[in-house]
Amino acid sequence: MSNAAAPARPGAILKSNLWTSNPIFMQVLGICSALAVTNLLVNTFIMAVGVVFTTAMSNLTVSLLKKMIPRKVRMIVQTLVIAFYVIIVDIVLRAYLPDVSRALGPYVGLIITNCIIMGRAEAFAQSNPPIISFWDGMTSGAGYMGVLMVIAFFRELFGFGTLFGFRVMPGWFPDWTIMVMPPSAFFFLGLIIWIGKNIMNREAA
Amino acid sequence: MKKDGMLYTVIFSFIVCFVFVFILSFTNEGTRELVQFNQQVARQKAILSAIGIAYESDAQVPDLFERVERIERNGETFFRTERDGRTIYAKEFAGAGLWGIIEGVLAVDAEISRTVGLEIIDHNETPGLGGRIDEAAYKEQFRDIRIQDDGFRFPRGVPADPEEGMIDAVTGATRTSESMVDILSSVVLTMRSTLGR
Repeated sequence: MSNAAAPARPGAILKSNLWTSNPIFMQVLGICSALAVTNLLVNTFIMAVGVVFTTAMSNLTVSLLKKMIPRKVRMIVQTLVIAFYVIIVDIVLRAYLPDVSRALGPYVGLIITNCIIMGRAEAFAQSNPPIISFWDGMTSGAGYMGVLMVIAFFRELFGFGTLFGFRVMPGWFPDWTIMVMPPSAFFFLGLIIWIGKNIMNREAA
Repeated sequence: MKKDGMLYTVIFSFIVCFVFVFILSFTNEGTRELVQFNQQVARQKAILSAIGIAYESDAQVPDLFERVERIERNGETFFRTERDGRTIYAKEFAGAGLWGIIEGVLAVDAEISRTVGLEIIDHNETPGLGGRIDEAAYKEQFRDIRIQDDGFRFPRGVPADPEEGMIDAVTGATRTSESMVDILSSVVLTMRSTLGR
Protein backbone atom coordinates (compact mmCIF):
# COMPACT_ATOMS: atom_id res chain seq x y z
CA MET A 1 0.00 0.00 0.00
CA SER A 2 2.98 2.28 -0.44
CA ASN A 3 1.61 5.52 -1.78
CA ALA A 4 4.85 6.89 -3.13
CA ALA A 5 4.89 4.03 -5.63
CA ALA A 6 1.25 4.49 -6.65
CA PRO A 7 0.82 4.75 -10.42
CA ALA A 8 0.28 8.36 -11.45
CA ARG A 9 -2.65 7.67 -13.77
CA PRO A 10 -5.90 9.50 -12.94
CA GLY A 11 -8.09 6.38 -13.22
CA ALA A 12 -5.80 4.29 -11.07
CA ILE A 13 -5.57 7.06 -8.46
CA LEU A 14 -9.34 7.37 -8.36
CA LYS A 15 -9.80 3.64 -7.79
CA SER A 16 -7.02 3.51 -5.24
CA ASN A 17 -8.27 6.47 -3.20
CA LEU A 18 -11.93 5.54 -3.29
CA TRP A 19 -11.53 1.82 -2.84
CA THR A 20 -8.32 -0.24 -2.67
CA SER A 21 -6.50 2.14 -0.34
CA ASN A 22 -9.40 4.23 0.89
CA PRO A 23 -8.01 6.53 3.58
CA ILE A 24 -10.65 5.58 6.15
CA PHE A 25 -11.41 1.91 5.80
CA MET A 26 -8.15 0.60 4.35
CA GLN A 27 -5.54 2.93 5.83
CA VAL A 28 -7.66 3.77 8.90
CA LEU A 29 -6.46 7.37 8.85
CA GLY A 30 -8.34 10.44 9.98
CA ILE A 31 -10.79 8.44 12.03
CA CYS A 32 -10.82 10.96 14.88
CA SER A 33 -13.14 13.19 12.88
CA ALA A 34 -14.93 10.13 11.50
CA LEU A 35 -15.97 9.42 15.09
CA ALA A 36 -16.69 13.00 16.12
CA VAL A 37 -18.70 14.57 13.33
CA THR A 38 -20.75 11.72 11.93
CA ASN A 39 -23.90 11.93 14.02
CA LEU A 40 -25.60 14.39 11.65
CA LEU A 41 -25.51 14.17 7.85
CA VAL A 42 -25.45 17.94 7.25
CA ASN A 43 -22.46 18.54 9.54
CA THR A 44 -20.69 15.53 8.06
CA PHE A 45 -21.25 16.76 4.52
CA ILE A 46 -19.92 20.28 5.11
CA MET A 47 -16.99 18.94 7.10
CA ALA A 48 -16.17 16.53 4.26
CA VAL A 49 -16.40 19.29 1.65
CA GLY A 50 -13.91 21.26 3.75
CA VAL A 51 -11.60 18.24 3.83
CA VAL A 52 -11.85 17.69 0.04
CA PHE A 53 -11.01 21.36 -0.58
CA THR A 54 -8.12 21.37 1.89
CA THR A 55 -6.60 18.10 0.70
CA ALA A 56 -6.80 19.10 -2.95
CA MET A 57 -5.44 22.62 -2.48
CA SER A 58 -2.70 21.71 -0.03
CA ASN A 59 -1.57 18.88 -2.33
CA LEU A 60 -1.43 21.33 -5.22
CA THR A 61 0.50 23.92 -3.22
CA VAL A 62 2.95 21.46 -1.71
CA SER A 63 3.58 19.99 -5.16
CA LEU A 64 4.24 23.46 -6.62
CA LEU A 65 6.64 24.33 -3.82
CA LYS A 66 8.30 20.92 -3.50
CA LYS A 67 11.50 21.79 -5.36
CA MET A 68 12.06 24.81 -3.12
CA ILE A 69 11.29 23.28 0.27
CA PRO A 70 14.40 22.40 2.32
CA ARG A 71 14.22 18.84 3.62
CA LYS A 72 14.56 19.84 7.27
CA VAL A 73 11.47 22.03 7.35
CA ARG A 74 9.43 19.95 4.89
CA MET A 75 6.74 18.87 7.34
CA ILE A 76 6.46 22.25 9.01
CA VAL A 77 5.85 23.85 5.65
CA GLN A 78 3.22 21.22 4.82
CA THR A 79 1.47 21.94 8.11
CA LEU A 80 1.58 25.65 7.39
CA VAL A 81 0.02 25.16 3.97
CA ILE A 82 -2.71 22.92 5.40
CA ALA A 83 -3.48 25.33 8.24
CA PHE A 84 -3.65 28.16 5.73
CA TYR A 85 -6.39 26.50 3.69
CA VAL A 86 -8.34 25.39 6.75
CA ILE A 87 -8.39 28.94 8.12
CA ILE A 88 -9.58 30.16 4.71
CA VAL A 89 -12.47 27.66 4.90
CA ASP A 90 -13.24 28.86 8.43
CA ILE A 91 -13.23 32.54 7.45
CA VAL A 92 -15.44 31.93 4.40
CA LEU A 93 -17.96 29.97 6.48
CA ARG A 94 -18.05 32.65 9.18
CA ALA A 95 -18.58 35.44 6.68
CA TYR A 96 -20.96 33.86 4.20
CA LEU A 97 -22.59 30.90 5.97
CA PRO A 98 -22.80 32.02 9.62
CA ASP A 99 -25.45 29.43 10.54
CA VAL A 100 -23.39 26.53 9.21
CA SER A 101 -20.30 27.93 10.89
CA ARG A 102 -22.16 28.03 14.19
CA ALA A 103 -23.38 24.44 13.79
CA LEU A 104 -19.91 23.09 13.02
CA GLY A 105 -18.13 25.07 15.73
CA PRO A 106 -14.66 23.68 16.42
CA TYR A 107 -14.85 20.90 13.78
CA VAL A 108 -13.63 23.15 10.98
CA GLY A 109 -10.42 24.10 12.77
CA LEU A 110 -9.85 20.45 13.54
CA ILE A 111 -9.51 19.64 9.82
CA ILE A 112 -5.89 20.78 10.28
CA THR A 113 -5.20 17.73 12.43
CA ASN A 114 -6.66 15.28 9.91
CA CYS A 115 -3.87 12.83 9.12
CA ILE A 116 -5.16 12.14 5.60
CA ILE A 117 -4.22 15.63 4.43
CA MET A 118 -0.69 15.52 5.82
CA GLY A 119 -0.39 11.92 4.60
CA ARG A 120 -1.24 12.83 1.02
CA ALA A 121 1.00 15.90 1.04
CA GLU A 122 3.94 13.85 2.29
CA ALA A 123 3.31 10.64 0.34
CA PHE A 124 2.02 11.98 -2.95
CA ALA A 125 2.37 15.72 -3.54
CA GLN A 126 6.01 15.73 -2.42
CA SER A 127 6.98 13.46 -5.32
CA ASN A 128 4.42 14.15 -8.08
CA PRO A 129 3.51 17.01 -10.45
CA PRO A 130 0.90 19.61 -9.37
CA ILE A 131 -2.18 18.68 -11.42
CA ILE A 132 -2.12 14.98 -10.61
CA SER A 133 -1.47 15.88 -6.95
CA PHE A 134 -4.56 18.05 -6.95
CA TRP A 135 -6.55 15.13 -8.38
CA ASP A 136 -5.07 12.79 -5.78
CA GLY A 137 -6.09 15.18 -3.01
CA MET A 138 -9.61 15.50 -4.34
CA THR A 139 -10.15 11.77 -4.67
CA SER A 140 -8.65 11.08 -1.24
CA GLY A 141 -11.05 13.60 0.23
CA ALA A 142 -13.88 11.95 -1.71
CA GLY A 143 -12.92 8.55 -0.28
CA TYR A 144 -13.11 10.09 3.19
CA MET A 145 -16.44 11.73 2.39
CA GLY A 146 -17.99 8.52 1.07
CA VAL A 147 -17.27 6.46 4.17
CA LEU A 148 -18.27 9.26 6.54
CA MET A 149 -21.58 9.82 4.78
CA VAL A 150 -22.40 6.10 5.10
CA ILE A 151 -21.61 6.15 8.83
CA ALA A 152 -23.53 9.41 9.33
CA PHE A 153 -26.52 7.99 7.43
CA PHE A 154 -26.94 5.12 9.89
CA ARG A 155 -26.04 7.15 12.97
CA GLU A 156 -28.51 9.92 12.23
CA LEU A 157 -31.18 7.42 11.21
CA PHE A 158 -30.96 5.38 14.41
CA GLY A 159 -29.79 8.13 16.77
CA PHE A 160 -32.24 10.89 15.87
CA GLY A 161 -34.71 9.08 13.59
CA THR A 162 -34.01 11.69 10.91
CA LEU A 163 -32.08 12.09 7.63
CA PHE A 164 -30.68 15.56 6.83
CA GLY A 165 -32.91 16.77 9.67
CA PHE A 166 -36.16 15.34 8.29
CA ARG A 167 -37.98 12.79 10.41
CA VAL A 168 -38.15 9.46 8.56
CA MET A 169 -38.58 6.92 11.34
CA PRO A 170 -42.12 6.24 12.60
CA GLY A 171 -43.15 7.92 15.85
CA TRP A 172 -42.91 4.72 17.93
CA PHE A 173 -39.23 4.31 17.08
CA PRO A 174 -37.08 4.96 20.16
CA ASP A 175 -33.95 6.98 19.36
CA TRP A 176 -30.78 5.07 20.25
CA THR A 177 -28.69 7.44 22.36
CA ILE A 178 -25.57 5.30 21.78
CA MET A 179 -25.76 6.20 18.07
CA VAL A 180 -25.40 9.88 18.92
CA MET A 181 -22.26 9.22 20.94
CA PRO A 182 -18.81 8.64 19.39
CA PRO A 183 -18.51 4.90 20.30
CA SER A 184 -21.22 3.94 17.81
CA ALA A 185 -18.99 5.18 14.99
CA PHE A 186 -16.48 2.51 16.04
CA PHE A 187 -19.08 -0.20 15.46
CA PHE A 188 -19.95 1.13 12.03
CA LEU A 189 -16.35 1.73 11.07
CA GLY A 190 -15.57 -1.85 12.13
CA LEU A 191 -18.48 -3.18 10.08
CA ILE A 192 -17.43 -1.17 7.02
CA ILE A 193 -13.83 -2.39 7.28
CA TRP A 194 -15.06 -5.97 7.64
CA ILE A 195 -17.42 -5.76 4.64
CA GLY A 196 -14.87 -3.88 2.54
CA LYS A 197 -12.07 -6.35 3.21
CA ASN A 198 -14.37 -9.29 2.51
CA ILE A 199 -15.39 -7.96 -0.87
CA MET A 200 -11.76 -7.19 -1.68
CA ASN A 201 -10.59 -10.68 -0.70
CA ARG A 202 -13.29 -12.20 -2.87
CA GLU A 203 -12.17 -10.03 -5.80
CA ALA A 204 -8.59 -11.14 -5.27
CA ALA A 205 -9.47 -14.84 -5.02
CA MET B 1 22.94 28.99 -1.92
CA LYS B 2 22.68 25.38 -0.71
CA LYS B 3 19.07 24.22 -0.54
CA ASP B 4 19.60 22.38 2.73
CA GLY B 5 21.86 25.03 4.20
CA MET B 6 20.96 26.96 7.32
CA LEU B 7 20.63 30.35 5.64
CA TYR B 8 18.39 29.13 2.83
CA THR B 9 16.18 27.25 5.30
CA VAL B 10 15.71 30.31 7.48
CA ILE B 11 15.03 32.64 4.57
CA PHE B 12 12.67 30.16 2.90
CA SER B 13 10.71 29.58 6.11
CA PHE B 14 10.43 33.30 6.70
CA ILE B 15 9.15 34.04 3.20
CA VAL B 16 6.66 31.18 3.20
CA CYS B 17 5.27 32.21 6.60
CA PHE B 18 5.13 35.84 5.58
CA VAL B 19 3.26 35.19 2.33
CA PHE B 20 0.67 32.84 3.81
CA VAL B 21 0.05 34.92 6.91
CA PHE B 22 -0.21 38.05 4.79
CA ILE B 23 -2.92 36.49 2.62
CA LEU B 24 -4.76 35.27 5.72
CA SER B 25 -4.67 38.66 7.42
CA PHE B 26 -5.90 40.23 4.22
CA THR B 27 -8.82 37.79 3.96
CA ASN B 28 -9.63 38.21 7.63
CA GLU B 29 -9.58 41.99 7.39
CA GLY B 30 -11.68 41.90 4.23
CA THR B 31 -14.44 39.86 5.83
CA ARG B 32 -14.30 41.40 9.30
CA GLU B 33 -17.19 43.81 8.86
CA LEU B 34 -19.35 41.07 7.41
CA VAL B 35 -18.49 38.73 10.28
CA GLN B 36 -19.23 41.42 12.86
CA PHE B 37 -22.51 42.21 11.14
CA ASN B 38 -23.42 38.50 11.19
CA GLN B 39 -22.64 38.31 14.89
CA GLN B 40 -24.70 41.39 15.61
CA VAL B 41 -27.68 40.03 13.65
CA ALA B 42 -27.32 36.68 15.44
CA ARG B 43 -27.44 38.49 18.81
CA GLN B 44 -30.45 40.56 17.82
CA LYS B 45 -32.23 37.46 16.49
CA ALA B 46 -31.59 35.68 19.78
CA ILE B 47 -33.02 38.56 21.82
CA LEU B 48 -36.09 38.81 19.56
CA SER B 49 -36.83 35.10 19.65
CA ALA B 50 -36.35 34.90 23.42
CA ILE B 51 -38.94 37.68 23.78
CA GLY B 52 -41.13 35.84 21.29
CA ILE B 53 -41.16 38.39 18.45
CA ALA B 54 -41.48 36.60 15.12
CA TYR B 55 -39.45 37.67 12.09
CA GLU B 56 -39.66 36.35 8.57
CA SER B 57 -36.21 37.12 7.25
CA ASP B 58 -32.89 38.37 8.55
CA ALA B 59 -33.48 41.69 6.78
CA GLN B 60 -36.34 42.55 9.17
CA VAL B 61 -34.27 41.88 12.26
CA PRO B 62 -32.56 45.30 12.69
CA ASP B 63 -35.91 47.15 12.26
CA LEU B 64 -37.72 44.96 14.77
CA PHE B 65 -34.82 45.29 17.16
CA GLU B 66 -35.10 49.10 17.02
CA ARG B 67 -38.37 48.83 18.93
CA VAL B 68 -36.77 47.03 21.85
CA GLU B 69 -35.77 49.47 24.58
CA ARG B 70 -32.31 49.18 26.08
CA ILE B 71 -31.94 49.93 29.82
CA GLU B 72 -28.72 50.30 31.78
CA ARG B 73 -28.92 49.93 35.55
CA ASN B 74 -26.11 49.29 38.05
CA GLY B 75 -23.81 48.36 35.21
CA GLU B 76 -26.22 45.68 33.92
CA THR B 77 -27.89 45.92 30.52
CA PHE B 78 -31.50 44.87 30.07
CA PHE B 79 -33.93 44.95 27.21
CA ARG B 80 -37.54 45.95 27.70
CA THR B 81 -40.44 45.75 25.28
CA GLU B 82 -44.20 45.38 25.15
CA ARG B 83 -45.76 42.31 23.54
CA ASP B 84 -49.52 41.70 23.50
CA GLY B 85 -49.94 44.40 26.16
CA ARG B 86 -47.43 42.78 28.53
CA THR B 87 -44.09 44.20 29.57
CA ILE B 88 -41.22 41.79 28.95
CA TYR B 89 -37.66 42.05 30.20
CA ALA B 90 -34.75 40.25 28.58
CA LYS B 91 -31.15 39.90 29.65
CA GLU B 92 -28.12 38.52 27.88
CA PHE B 93 -26.10 36.12 29.97
CA ALA B 94 -22.76 34.31 29.85
CA GLY B 95 -21.79 31.53 32.25
CA ALA B 96 -19.59 28.50 32.62
CA GLY B 97 -20.81 25.38 30.82
CA LEU B 98 -19.03 22.02 30.80
CA TRP B 99 -16.43 22.88 28.12
CA GLY B 100 -16.69 26.62 27.77
CA ILE B 101 -18.84 29.68 28.12
CA ILE B 102 -22.52 29.44 27.33
CA GLU B 103 -24.00 32.70 26.06
CA GLY B 104 -27.65 33.35 25.59
CA VAL B 105 -30.72 35.46 26.34
CA LEU B 106 -33.42 34.88 28.93
CA ALA B 107 -36.73 36.75 28.71
CA VAL B 108 -39.10 37.07 31.67
CA ASP B 109 -42.32 38.91 32.53
CA ALA B 110 -42.53 42.27 34.30
CA GLU B 111 -42.71 40.70 37.79
CA ILE B 112 -39.84 38.30 37.02
CA SER B 113 -42.13 35.52 38.16
CA ARG B 114 -42.53 33.61 34.87
CA THR B 115 -40.20 32.95 31.97
CA VAL B 116 -41.06 34.12 28.48
CA GLY B 117 -38.34 32.41 26.49
CA LEU B 118 -34.74 31.32 26.19
CA GLU B 119 -32.32 31.56 23.30
CA ILE B 120 -28.73 30.32 23.10
CA ILE B 121 -26.25 32.56 21.26
CA ASP B 122 -23.04 30.59 21.60
CA HIS B 123 -21.72 27.52 23.39
CA ASN B 124 -18.97 24.91 23.14
CA GLU B 125 -20.85 21.95 24.63
CA THR B 126 -20.43 18.41 23.26
CA PRO B 127 -22.16 18.25 19.87
CA GLY B 128 -25.13 15.89 19.97
CA LEU B 129 -25.20 15.82 23.79
CA GLY B 130 -24.82 19.07 25.74
CA GLY B 131 -24.90 20.87 22.41
CA ARG B 132 -28.59 20.02 22.21
CA ILE B 133 -29.37 22.92 24.56
CA ASP B 134 -29.65 25.00 21.40
CA GLU B 135 -32.35 22.72 19.97
CA ALA B 136 -35.99 23.73 20.09
CA ALA B 137 -36.98 20.81 22.35
CA TYR B 138 -34.82 22.19 25.15
CA LYS B 139 -35.42 25.90 24.60
CA GLU B 140 -39.18 25.62 24.21
CA GLN B 141 -39.42 24.38 27.80
CA PHE B 142 -38.76 27.96 28.84
CA ARG B 143 -42.05 29.30 27.54
CA ASP B 144 -43.92 30.10 30.78
CA ILE B 145 -42.13 28.44 33.68
CA ARG B 146 -42.99 29.74 37.16
CA ILE B 147 -39.68 30.96 38.59
CA GLN B 148 -39.03 29.91 42.20
CA ASP B 149 -37.41 32.12 44.87
CA ASP B 150 -34.05 30.51 44.14
CA GLY B 151 -34.56 30.30 40.38
CA PHE B 152 -34.87 26.96 38.57
CA ARG B 153 -34.40 23.32 39.58
CA PHE B 154 -34.33 19.75 38.25
CA PRO B 155 -37.19 17.31 38.61
CA ARG B 156 -36.11 14.35 40.77
CA GLY B 157 -38.00 11.20 39.87
CA VAL B 158 -41.08 13.12 38.75
CA PRO B 159 -42.12 14.66 35.44
CA ALA B 160 -40.91 18.27 35.11
CA ASP B 161 -43.56 20.61 36.50
CA PRO B 162 -43.33 24.16 35.05
CA GLU B 163 -45.29 25.49 38.05
CA GLU B 164 -42.44 24.30 40.30
CA GLY B 165 -39.73 25.97 38.20
CA MET B 166 -38.53 22.61 36.88
CA ILE B 167 -36.47 22.17 33.71
CA ASP B 168 -35.84 18.79 32.11
CA ALA B 169 -32.18 17.93 31.63
CA VAL B 170 -30.73 16.84 28.28
CA THR B 171 -30.21 13.06 28.29
CA GLY B 172 -26.52 12.19 28.51
CA ALA B 173 -25.55 15.78 29.32
CA THR B 174 -26.09 16.13 33.06
CA ARG B 175 -23.20 18.52 33.61
CA THR B 176 -24.31 20.89 30.86
CA SER B 177 -27.89 20.79 32.13
CA GLU B 178 -26.74 21.52 35.68
CA SER B 179 -24.72 24.46 34.40
CA MET B 180 -27.78 25.82 32.62
CA VAL B 181 -29.85 25.65 35.79
CA ASP B 182 -27.11 27.43 37.76
CA ILE B 183 -26.51 30.09 35.12
CA LEU B 184 -30.19 30.86 34.60
CA SER B 185 -30.95 30.91 38.31
CA SER B 186 -28.24 33.48 38.87
CA VAL B 187 -29.48 35.55 35.89
CA VAL B 188 -32.93 35.66 37.45
CA LEU B 189 -31.52 36.64 40.86
CA THR B 190 -29.46 39.44 39.24
CA MET B 191 -32.52 40.71 37.40
CA ARG B 192 -34.58 40.70 40.59
CA SER B 193 -32.01 42.56 42.65
CA THR B 194 -31.22 45.12 39.94
CA LEU B 195 -34.77 45.78 38.81
CA GLY B 196 -36.06 45.61 42.38
CA ARG B 197 -38.71 42.91 42.07
